[in-house]
Amino acid sequence: MRALAILLITAAPAFAEGDLFIYTWGEYTPPDLVAKFEAEFGVKVHIDAYDSMETMIAKLRAGGAGYDIIVPGDATMLVLIAEAMVEKIDVFAMPNFTHVDDRWRDVYWDPKREYSAPWAWGSTAFAVDTAVVTGDYSSLSVVFDPADDVKGRINMLRDMNDVINMAERYLGIPRCSENPDEMKRVLELLQTQKEWVKSYDSETKEMMVSGEAVVSMSWNGYAMRARDEKPTIAYVYPKEGYTGWMDNLAVAKGAPNLDNAKAFINFAMAPENAAMITNYARYSNGIKGSEAFVEPALAAAPEINPPADAPAPEFIPTCSPAATALIDKVWTKLMN
Amino acid sequence: MARFDTRAKDIRNLPGFGMTAALAVAFLYAPILFLVLYSFNDGRSISRIDGVSLRWYRTVFANEEIAAAALNSVLLAVIAASLATAMATAAAIAMIRLRVKRKASAYAVLNFPLMVPEIVTAIATLIFFSSVGLGLGFTALAIAHTTFCIPFAYLPIAARLSSMDPALEAAAADLYARPWRRFGLITLPLLAPGLISGWLLAFIVSLDDFIISSMLSGPGSTTLPVHIYSMLRLGITPEINAVSSLMVLVSAVVVIASGLIARAQK
Repeated sequence: MRALAILLITAAPAFAEGDLFIYTWGEYTPPDLVAKFEAEFGVKVHIDAYDSMETMIAKLRAGGAGYDIIVPGDATMLVLIAEAMVEKIDVFAMPNFTHVDDRWRDVYWDPKREYSAPWAWGSTAFAVDTAVVTGDYSSLSVVFDPADDVKGRINMLRDMNDVINMAERYLGIPRCSENPDEMKRVLELLQTQKEWVKSYDSETKEMMVSGEAVVSMSWNGYAMRARDEKPTIAYVYPKEGYTGWMDNLAVAKGAPNLDNAKAFINFAMAPENAAMITNYARYSNGIKGSEAFVEPALAAAPEINPPADAPAPEFIPTCSPAATALIDKVWTKLMN
Repeated sequence: MARFDTRAKDIRNLPGFGMTAALAVAFLYAPILFLVLYSFNDGRSISRIDGVSLRWYRTVFANEEIAAAALNSVLLAVIAASLATAMATAAAIAMIRLRVKRKASAYAVLNFPLMVPEIVTAIATLIFFSSVGLGLGFTALAIAHTTFCIPFAYLPIAARLSSMDPALEAAAADLYARPWRRFGLITLPLLAPGLISGWLLAFIVSLDDFIISSMLSGPGSTTLPVHIYSMLRLGITPEINAVSSLMVLVSAVVVIASGLIARAQK
């Protein structure tokens, strides 16, 4: 019994001066970044994984979770700031903030960057197999008004919001529309397209590489991995626009190691450190000058470096309840 | 002399038994078989074999996040299984050897964790622990896991105890063995196979748990299932297949061991 008690005590983490608790997605934090930070600051970094934003919010809401750094997505940041669940740490005043790319400074979830720093960002658009889809594929018409040899070989993400946002862009309807007539047109478009859709499947990489799909909605990271296996696959930034997402570094309210957390956030904005994020997680990082430290193959990859003529990614806050109800309705009817 | 042909009552002789069983086994195990198969893939794909290699297993063993999560899981499972087995043994002795008032109600309470949906237990425990100031983390996990492991540990222990002849303990009492001595010399050794198989069952249930662990883990106490689920976010790679295969292997070994011990006692 005493051995057991000792085991229990030693198993609980030590809350010494030099600790930093990061609560993030699994396999998202580069080990070399952690090792470098530990060596430079004499701080022991502990990494815990969450399985969803909802779990993370539930734990923070319950209070006293004991995490320092969290890595919320853009829409989640809005919720966390509104509910005062993150510390105001004035990221804009940190020395390394000068490295943050201009377009990631005034962001809708944190316009002054008082609470958060960029970690990684990506996009949702579509990919084509250029061996089959020849000619101009820069428009969403490739997906919604397909050529005959593409019909029946289209894969759509099994994601309600992403699919409907894409259809809205094609029709010129604003995101989060609360207008039933507009949403009816979205449904009609998607129902017409459904005839030619092979599957609504989120394993887009597998679909493209196996050749079951020659046009597929895709996350940029998946499209890049697909191209690794099949060089004819190209990720498309459609001229009608596409969805972006960004994960951010923020500090949980009441973080036990506030100073270490701030030091880590400043540290992660240095170009040579941000480059480690891209090299490990294979997503863009949002820090100017990091390209010089990114692996050449990644630095040149169009999937994570949109070409100059690509439109800017569109970030979409959570829709209103009325708009969400319409989206649900469209999706349910489409899936039936 | 049997009045009925017992063979006709044997479930194996019912029409369609073989096919139903084969289908059931295929449905249950084919996906796991595929998962294990692709964990040996040389490529990054989870639907196309590019050659056979152990590269994903090497990746898993070199991964510090996975190692830390696995260590947490095993430590937690050992603690929860040990505490649950001790409590389940006490419960089984009370229920089977002693006169307990309202035995049915006691039995229902004992099995409560099996009946209540796990998500409800998880959220209730999360709210309760944080409102009493216990906070999240290893201690909270150990308490919760012990609780839901008790019924699993109880079943094999109670089964073993019921099949033990109370005359042996009565004989020890006749020879003036005091209750604790009687327990130590007679009951416990005879009960051992039940204890071991109950402990193993509790161990595996704790090791595999996801929902409660996801809600209650605190800084430094992420468990392996929570970590694996979190890895899915960056796409399914054979690394996930490899670590999942290892979990299947551990689970299978433990369950088979538990089964063999249960069989040996007959």
